[in-house]
Amino acid sequence: MLKMTSVRKTFRTDTIETHALRDFDLQVEEGDFVAVTGPSGSGKTTFLNVAGLLETFDDGDYQLDGKSVQGMNDRQLAQLRNEKIGFIFQSFNLLPDLNLFDNVDVPLRYRGFNSAERKQRIEQALETVGLANRMGHYPAQLSGGQQQRVAIARALAGSPRFLLADEPTGNLDSNMASGVLDLLSEINAQGTTIIMVTHDPSLAQRAQRNIFVRDGQVTEVQTGTNIQELLQQTAQV
Amino acid sequence: MNQIGPIFRALLRNKVGALLLALQIALTMTIIVNAIHMIENRSSMMARESGMDEANQFHLMYVGYKDSFNERVAVETDLLEIRKLNGVVDATQINSTPLSGGGWSMGLTTTPNSQDGTPVSLYFVDDHGLNTLGVELVAGENFSQTEVTYRLSNDKQWPQNILLTEAAAKNLFPDLTPAEMIGQTVFIRDDEPMTIKGIIDHLQAPWVQWSNVNNVMLVPQRGLWNANRYLVRTAPGERDRLMREVEELLLAKRDGRLIRNVTAMDEQRDDAYQDFFALQTVLWVIVTVLTLVTALGIVGMVSFTVNQRRKQIGTRRALGATKGDIMRQFMLENLLITGSGLIIGVASSIALNIWLVDTFSLPRIGWHYLPIAMVVLVIVGQLAVLGPARKAANLSPALATRTT
Repeated sequence: MLKMTSVRKTFRTDTIETHALRDFDLQVEEGDFVAVTGPSGSGKTTFLNVAGLLETFDDGDYQLDGKSVQGMNDRQLAQLRNEKIGFIFQSFNLLPDLNLFDNVDVPLRYRGFNSAERKQRIEQALETVGLANRMGHYPAQLSGGQQQRVAIARALAGSPRFLLADEPTGNLDSNMASGVLDLLSEINAQGTTIIMVTHDPSLAQRAQRNIFVRDGQVTEVQTGTNIQELLQQTAQV
Repeated sequence: MNQIGPIFRALLRNKVGALLLALQIALTMTIIVNAIHMIENRSSMMARESGMDEANQFHLMYVGYKDSFNERVAVETDLLEIRKLNGVVDATQINSTPLSGGGWSMGLTTTPNSQDGTPVSLYFVDDHGLNTLGVELVAGENFSQTEVTYRLSNDKQWPQNILLTEAAAKNLFPDLTPAEMIGQTVFIRDDEPMTIKGIIDHLQAPWVQWSNVNNVMLVPQRGLWNANRYLVRTAPGERDRLMREVEELLLAKRDGRLIRNVTAMDEQRDDAYQDFFALQTVLWVIVTVLTLVTALGIVGMVSFTVNQRRKQIGTRRALGATKGDIMRQFMLENLLITGSGLIIGVASSIALNIWLVDTFSLPRIGWHYLPIAMVVLVIVGQLAVLGPARKAANLSPALATRTT
């Protein structure tokens, strides 16, 4: 469902060229739970941005659901993001002036669903994350873990083909992190594909597949590999 | 437009900034509406016809300074000679003219010793007065040559016949037609009767801001005062030449008088409305500056908001908002704020107008000003927000994943 072949992405300033992705190859199948780890500056976030169509790439091919995204215009990319991808961000990215109902409603309105369908989807999504009774609350009235659950509900409400999670537990204590991860595992068990970028090896261990990114390139690692060790080795190099 | 509900609810969570901007828009609307009302009011006053053939008329004043100067001989010979000049249509002696800002007024009544007089402005003219002024008789007759008398500065007597403008006559006899007004008696100085000999269509009093500016009475008398004025009407295109010729003609007499203020009527119109024009200019500057300041206020406020919400905008883009969705969001937000400001503005515009009407006797504001001002301010608001909204729309969706 997601296939990247020789994807390149370079950031340029007047004096420096940074090769964030170099011949990046990755294939993710329907139902996968993939953890992407790697040291700081390895290209994880760039991969996430490219995979989530938040950023364009310079070269290579990226196929989403069998369709190449290269050459798509802004409107087409926005539509793809809206319909096929659900985002979960490290700092939740809830809109502070909207209550939970309206927050989950944001992508659904862009999708053009009618109000009845939106209501049903919002209620169901908030039910899934256990916050159906707090629809009128604002993000500031919730704990970090609850806010991330709302963000997951927002990502799920549009029934996306896959979820892209950027350090989803990075701003949470271990207790809350575990709860969020349980929820993601549950969602994955129900058939939703998840790609999770994390620097935390213990979280990565809970995914079915582990991808290690180093210098903008991918190394698939076997389940059970000590990722902490890999990270340390990379740091020493 | 399906974003309007959440946008409205979000605005209610951030009332202060939105309210301040709405109040600025309300204040702008209040001032703009009333300023434009005043501008239009002055424009309509300036557009009023004086009743004269202004393009082809001029007047001049003369003052006798020698004891030998004989005013009566002067006026009779002067007018005969002026009328003979090639290009002169007619000429008369007159005490004042419309738009001059100085003249006589008296009260007329339909019954002697009545308290309720109709104010009228007086022009003393001879039998050439109507033709020189360029006014039309609606009913009755012009003065005959024989009924024109001379008036000294201390005279208290009034002639038997007068001409009135239709407006003045209507004030006195609201139920009569112009033809029926002929022969009616009116009283001046409480109990001196005069007969209406003719009704003229229209002529203005000298004072442009006078509330009875259309009430004029023509009196068949020539003044034997130290300072007098001639009004000359010329054929089209001859005025400027004749202004010089008439002045030279009178100067050539060397009979002990000064000639001054040779003035074309359209020049006099400009002088009469100079204050109006200045006021209009000041009001236009105020309207323009205020609109500009409001527009800049909106630009500043929206730019600030865009900078503050970069990550939110990135998040919305990540969630599927197109550039158009982002632009629409800011434009709708502005529309809601402007709309609230305009609703307050309608109320405050009417309130200010009521105060202006009570305090300065201005006419009531026309209802049409309100929707026009609303549309203009909505357009200004939308244009002002366009730049920052476009900037917001062009923000990268990748901002959603940045930590700051």
